[in-house]
Amino acid sequence: MNHFPQAWGRPRDDVYGSYDHSHFQTNGPNQHTQSPIVTGTSVVAAKFKDGVVIAADNLASYGSLARFTDVKRLRKFNDQVVVGFGGDVSDMQYLDRLLLSLDIRENYSSTENPLNAKNLHTYLAKVMYKRRSDFNPLWNHLLIAGLDGEDKPFLASADLLGTTFSSPTLATGFGGHLAQPILRKLLPDEASVERVSEEQAVEVVKECMKVLFYRDARSMDKYSIAVIKKDGVELKEDEKLENQSWAFAERIRGYGTQTA
Amino acid sequence: MASVFTGAPPQGGPGYSFKQTPTVALSGERQHSFYPYTDNGGSTLGISGADFTILAGDTRSTHGYNINTRYAPKLFKIGGEGPENKGSRIVLSVVGFAADGDALKERLDTIVKMYKYQHGKSITVAACAQRLSHILYNKRFFPYYVHAILGGIDEDGKGALYSYDPVGSYEREQCRAAGAAASLIMPFLDNQVNLKNQYEPGSGTGHDLQAKLAQPLPRKDVEDLVRDAFTSAVERHIEVGDGLQMMIITKDGIEETFTPLKKD
Amino acid sequence: MTSIGTGYDLSNSVFSPDGRNFQVEYAVKAVENGGTAVGIRCKDGIVLALEKLVTSKLLKPGANKRIATVDRNIGVVSSGLLPDGRHFVSRARDEAAQWRQLYKAPIPTSALANRMGSYVQAYTLYSSVRPFGVTAIIGGWDSEAELPVDGQVGSGPKVGAGGKKDGAKHSGPSLYMIEPSGLYWGYYGAATGKGRQIAKSELEKLNLADGQLSLEEGVKEAARIIYVAHDDNKDKEFELELTWISSLDGPTKGRHEEVPKELKEEAERLAKKALEGEDDDEEEEKMEE
Repeated sequence: MNHFPQAWGRPRDDVYGSYDHSHFQTNGPNQHTQSPIVTGTSVVAAKFKDGVVIAADNLASYGSLARFTDVKRLRKFNDQVVVGFGGDVSDMQYLDRLLLSLDIRENYSSTENPLNAKNLHTYLAKVMYKRRSDFNPLWNHLLIAGLDGEDKPFLASADLLGTTFSSPTLATGFGGHLAQPILRKLLPDEASVERVSEEQAVEVVKECMKVLFYRDARSMDKYSIAVIKKDGVELKEDEKLENQSWAFAERIRGYGTQTA
Repeated sequence: MASVFTGAPPQGGPGYSFKQTPTVALSGERQHSFYPYTDNGGSTLGISGADFTILAGDTRSTHGYNINTRYAPKLFKIGGEGPENKGSRIVLSVVGFAADGDALKERLDTIVKMYKYQHGKSITVAACAQRLSHILYNKRFFPYYVHAILGGIDEDGKGALYSYDPVGSYEREQCRAAGAAASLIMPFLDNQVNLKNQYEPGSGTGHDLQAKLAQPLPRKDVEDLVRDAFTSAVERHIEVGDGLQMMIITKDGIEETFTPLKKD
Repeated sequence: MTSIGTGYDLSNSVFSPDGRNFQVEYAVKAVENGGTAVGIRCKDGIVLALEKLVTSKLLKPGANKRIATVDRNIGVVSSGLLPDGRHFVSRARDEAAQWRQLYKAPIPTSALANRMGSYVQAYTLYSSVRPFGVTAIIGGWDSEAELPVDGQVGSGPKVGAGGKKDGAKHSGPSLYMIEPSGLYWGYYGAATGKGRQIAKSELEKLNLADGQLSLEEGVKEAARIIYVAHDDNKDKEFELELTWISSLDGPTKGRHEEVPKELKEEAERLAKKALEGEDDDEEEEKMEE
């Protein structure tokens, strides 16, 4: 025990060594996010004739550690839009709070003409682009699903660089490699959206979640899925992958203890 | 998206469970591992005629070997009325980093619209072209990573075409290709539009050869050239394909066409 | 007002020798000229009602709403100087937003009333400002649901350390009224504005403290009270504004909303009928004489 107030309540130096002050770094350049820490993996989504289906699993990983297993990565906005988050989870939480305060403020002015998916995408894209331009990116890849001003299905993406694009089917992260080819088989172009039913869209999205679980090591078999139509959002956050078949795994050679 | 999902545990921070924990603050500059740009591929092309200008671009958007979408326009009407830019006579094409391209388009569009509110007349292409140069140059230390081409009709009713580098250097040209397949398309244009390496038949050999003089081409020929240029580029460049968007600017307005390209 | 002209009413924050702050009392006068506002705390929600005096026929009917929402679950109605009321609401919204930023949860109605009371009171302390010319009624429903932490990851332990306490709830309807002095109390029923005396005596008849009045009955009573309190001779035209807040499983799902058109029309019809009944009674009494 000494007489310096700053040492009170701290472990004794003679027993535990002096306190490491390095993380109270006061000089040197300001640092922003250099890489994501706790991450969510793919989000997949597909349009159909009356709306959009979107899904993401419930896992948040810390590197290769499956850290949180009941994370809701699909977030509802004013009962008409769903935002799917891939990438850093803390940045997702920040955006979630941002959207909540936006929704509260929107309802102050008037409850008529609520923000639709298209409006929300424009807003989020500008937030993302602003943050990347400040060299302080929000480390996420977002899919925004809902309806546009004319009640037509709307699906678009915004990422940490502020890049935006729209397509009948979208998938972030690993889904870009594994899910998109499957989704595009059903929905090759905008015209095909009219020919796809809700059931077909849900089925193909679930199929994609399964393939992603087979091949993406940072994925899990519990997931959330949402269907957005004119009459609102149906969000299920506690789904389990069904009809898994690991038969293909037996033919995989060259890993672990197996030899050729 | 490899940069988003590196899957690596946090690095560089103090790890308190290890002995080699730094006891002094890190000094010196650290490199940002965040790179604020990406290349979204694609190609654009513009050709001006006697009383028209054609701008064209493919609609594929890429990220590495991935296709983001098969329909992402690179051509934007500038000015005019409302969000649909009704009555506009100026077209901007951007290729490179799409987010910067969108931001640049948005800025130029509002400026051109504000110009009309403030001065009561539409901006000329020449003025718009110079303004675009200034926008790019003002951000030269953190550039809009795009190759822009601006097209319209000048005050004499002639087709006008301006091309830019990312930091605002610009010139008026007869034709210009930009983007991923620029190096494939530009020599083709040099030959077919500016008639480079074409000589008058029978004018002799060696120094006697008389170069063919470039004339403004008719609209039909230009449209065919553009389509040929892109179908060829699609064959040889993986980032080009899916669809061809064309905008033809005449004194009567802007005509827009869409032609499918190979999706492979 | 025997002390008028003694000079003690000229400056805010200055007491008169008999211990009064005249500026605050004048502010109360301003409130007494405003349209009647009523708040009822029912067993399963809150009703707010306002007699909006129509100052011009050129104003669009139904536009220019005066009962405001704060956060999602709180309503504010005020009587007195309209711009002061707007400023009051704007501050309340800022307080609610600030609370959310700090605690990641909606502000409890009691906490909002407390903060707004302090804010209003501060305007009685300085000679450079004047007190608020409004009396505001704040009504809210504090959610009975277990609050998800905003943007939470996972659900946390089900019980025990860092988990939740089973059955712990601090929820339900609450109603507060803040006066220009900054004074505020929680009420079962609150009324302010021109017709407050009539409204208060009507509210007392409802035995609100028993906690029996349902939300839907409350809506009808609120409408009736506004109609009863309205003085036909002084103000001809008025519009009724009605909002309510129910529990999560009630009709508004814990949010502050306008009363739906059908129910409002029904409430107004009943209110008018009740008034006619009164008139009939009076006439009958006269006949007997």
